[in-house]
Amino acid sequence: MKLTLGKIFIEDVQFGKDTKVEGKTLFINKDELLDAVGESEYIDNIDIDITHPGDEVRITPVKDVIEPRVKVDGPGGIFPGMINKVQTVGSGKTHALKNVAVVTAGKIVGFQEGIIDMTGPGAEYSPFSKTHNIVVVANPREDVKQYDHEAAVRQIGFKAANFLGELAKNLTPDEEITYETLPLLQGVEKYPDLPKVGYVYMLQTQGLLHDTYVYGVDAKKIIPTFMYPTEMMDGAIVSGNCVSACDKNPTYVHQNNGIIEDLYEKHGKEINFVGVIVTNENVYLADKERSSDWTAKLTEYFGLDGVIVSQEGFGNPDTDLIMNCKKIEEKNIKTVIVTDEYAGRDGASQSLADADPKADAVVSNGNANEVIVLPPMKKIIGMTDYVDSIAGGFDGSLREDGSIEVEIQAITGATNETGFVKLTAKEY
Amino acid sequence: MAFRIVTNNPQVQEHFGERHQIHWIEGNYLAVLEFVRDEVHRGYPVLTHPLSGSIKPNETPYKSILLDTEKDQEISSSVIMIEDSIITAKKFIEIRDRTVGLRQDLLQDFQEIDYQLIKSGIESAL
Repeated sequence: MKLTLGKIFIEDVQFGKDTKVEGKTLFINKDELLDAVGESEYIDNIDIDITHPGDEVRITPVKDVIEPRVKVDGPGGIFPGMINKVQTVGSGKTHALKNVAVVTAGKIVGFQEGIIDMTGPGAEYSPFSKTHNIVVVANPREDVKQYDHEAAVRQIGFKAANFLGELAKNLTPDEEITYETLPLLQGVEKYPDLPKVGYVYMLQTQGLLHDTYVYGVDAKKIIPTFMYPTEMMDGAIVSGNCVSACDKNPTYVHQNNGIIEDLYEKHGKEINFVGVIVTNENVYLADKERSSDWTAKLTEYFGLDGVIVSQEGFGNPDTDLIMNCKKIEEKNIKTVIVTDEYAGRDGASQSLADADPKADAVVSNGNANEVIVLPPMKKIIGMTDYVDSIAGGFDGSLREDGSIEVEIQAITGATNETGFVKLTAKEY
Repeated sequence: MAFRIVTNNPQVQEHFGERHQIHWIEGNYLAVLEFVRDEVHRGYPVLTHPLSGSIKPNETPYKSILLDTEKDQEISSSVIMIEDSIITAKKFIEIRDRTVGLRQDLLQDFQEIDYQLIKSGIESAL
């Protein structure tokens, strides 16, 4: 499967009379975007705002972050099974509007986290302080259940990103990269001397506000399966996940997975990147056993020499991570696990809720318990009245002057477990 | 798989109380974990992970866990899991217990999340 990703670098986003890309500026007619997003029986009103890197703006609570993309050539559409028909994506040509993101925001439950500061110390922790953000705040009708509200906001975000992505269809990309993964036997034949490496992509799938979808299927109902890495780039995996702001994977991260990009970078040179095994993180222990058995079985069946395993979330997914690692190692396949830590505010406590001696190669993306003070911002998009109750916050988190003292777990993307962050931890 | 639900969440008791066996805990998150630990040591394996969900143990007052109704000879993995979960929960609660004095609307949201998480476990068990 071969995909050419054309990147169009946007330098500014503004509201305008017409929705278009002119030069390096994305103009958005607010009414046209609202029309494209459409109405929902669960949503009372939708507002759209634009914010830029360096603005004194705080967006919170953030639900999802999505990059606008469009299929230019090849089968299917972006977000198959969600807003486009189910068809295998990941081949042909796709255009992406870079430096731009659709951010969905608004309170779904009272303790929901997710802060993006566009400037100041908090901005250093979120990769989404560097994008021009089109923020969609969707307020529910009264008495709407949380799961209906979540589903409605999820769809609104994809529709907004899809509408803006369409603008890129006829543009000439500033940069093109072609990614190719051959069918297994051909790929092995092509690089007989290179170690065969796979990626086990763990998806958070435990229930309301903890879900992920693969081609529209709730991933808690899948058994681990193989995917070409380019399928992710066309939105085959999307987030329905609102908790663990620091270490969940927003849809943007599924589209721009750094582990996949880095493995492609080394593909054909140092390694033979064979493909991706997607798996879940369920509540029920028999599901965890079955899924980790299957990931290990697939790594063996594909004849892998090495595997990178990335986690999403905290706590019980630590058990899935360790089960995957242990069972794959028992097949005599080397593993590296990618995670983050909840090691207490001094960093001295045990980092994960589970452990095994076989997990001897670990990449950490930071300690989510680290405390930070976020200074007041001139403008809030969304609301901060819930901040005392968000993850990593506490009574008195929100001070009178508008500053917030929180653990970095409250910041969207701060310790993302695919490495889509600036933080790391080193052992000396 | 036959199971019983150990819970301190009124919404779980209300929804599943008539159809499934419930053991009600009049206590906090840690009290649920400690009751489950005692049952595991008596030989009953856990069927759902004690730390289900990514909401931290010092944030939500509610916890529901599925336990097997039959004893098993092999409980070592359940023992390790519940003991590690208690260590993790205590670590968070010692940093700051944020479950005291929560607003009513937040309590209801936490009940809903715990209910949805255990519901996904029950759906797998049935």
